[in-house]
Amino acid sequence: MTKLTVNNKTYEISGASARTLASVLRNDLGLMGTKVSCAEGECGSCTVLLDGKPVTSCLVLAGQAQGRQIETIEGIGRAEELHPVQQAFIDEQGFQCGACTPGFIMSAKAFLAENPNPSEDEASIAMSGNICRCGAHPYIVSAVLNAAEKMQKGRES
Amino acid sequence: MRSQFDYHRPDSVADAVRMKHELGTDALFWAGGTDLVLQWKAEKIKPLHCIDLTAIDGLAYIKSEDSILRIGGLTSLSEIERADRQDPYLRTLADVARLMATQQTRTIATIAGNLCNASPAADLIPPLIAMGAYLRVTGEEGSRELPVEQLMLGPGRTCLHDSEMVTEIYIPRPTQARASSYRRIDRTVVDIALVSAAGAITLDDDGVVGSVVIALGAVAPTVIRSARAEAMLRGAVLSSMSYADLQQVGEAAADDATPINDVRATAGYRTAMVKVLVRRVLEDISRSLTGEPE
Repeated sequence: MTKLTVNNKTYEISGASARTLASVLRNDLGLMGTKVSCAEGECGSCTVLLDGKPVTSCLVLAGQAQGRQIETIEGIGRAEELHPVQQAFIDEQGFQCGACTPGFIMSAKAFLAENPNPSEDEASIAMSGNICRCGAHPYIVSAVLNAAEKMQKGRES
Repeated sequence: MRSQFDYHRPDSVADAVRMKHELGTDALFWAGGTDLVLQWKAEKIKPLHCIDLTAIDGLAYIKSEDSILRIGGLTSLSEIERADRQDPYLRTLADVARLMATQQTRTIATIAGNLCNASPAADLIPPLIAMGAYLRVTGEEGSRELPVEQLMLGPGRTCLHDSEMVTEIYIPRPTQARASSYRRIDRTVVDIALVSAAGAITLDDDGVVGSVVIALGAVAPTVIRSARAEAMLRGAVLSSMSYADLQQVGEAAADDATPINDVRATAGYRTAMVKVLVRRVLEDISRSLTGEPE
């Protein structure tokens, strides 16, 4: 049995340890927000957080994720109350087709937890592990900076 | 077809080593696994057993002591990237780690994994060789130590015995000042090195180069040292070497390189870049030894 804690819920899944975390999240738990595009750890679309740190879930075995807090896009915000990073991606139009967006949002969330007040360069480098084929990168960096500002204000108020 | 494998999760080095000894070559130690997963998906390897090292406590640490720097084998690249920049060795290694793959890969990829994957382009091997690093390895027969320089035998091949795993990387600190640098040619931040060079130099009291190591990556089946470049530097006064002098050392290093043509670069380009990288490495070291800002 593989015991995984995903978005604060614990699951026991048989025969999952020797498969990728991305596959288990999507096929066993139905968490389709985690997108697999390259499946080679290059594009970042399958990014989830392990104990708050970003990983490409296509490179991690589900077995390796046991005993850690796994956070996916489904664990962030609600339709009626989006996470500031999600709202910022909408406000800055930081996407076109949207396939890369969950991965970007997870990377951005982890990055802003570590660096709440980044420069444009820092935000751009932090997003370099995610690829947007539609070419929305400049808007994505704007979204990260916008989210940083929103979250900063949220903390002050 | 992709192999299906059994997953094992030992919680101590002793258990991991015993499992590996019992399961033999069908089993693989799985540290971060970021290289192994790719090889498994591409069917380049067909493991029957994965011995996941994630659950072993106490192998992820960075201990900066006066006479030695110790890094646990399972320390992630992300932890190295964030290491204390006051320690000159860690500063060099942190700058290297930052170049490697993506943030998401660095979260799980480990230092021992980068070494044992034994790629000629592995980013951490040249600087560790230059800094005179050693490995502590543990196997069924017990523990031993060896210089990082002896680890690699060829692409993907190491000198480790079948049940052995790297538990620690350590770097003894010399009493004299030592500076080191790593440079590489790449296309983008997430790329692997097309060609790389590292150097470390200690100065004797009179400012003369005492010990020197120049290591080159992605220009031979293993990471190599340039005996020619090292010979030219030994006994020289680094601070009085001109640009042309440093170019000559770079040319000597290029003579030691035997690169191949592949999809990523031509042999000619790699050789030409060795010259440039070695000069830049020496300029970095020179600046660092004279206390100029980076």
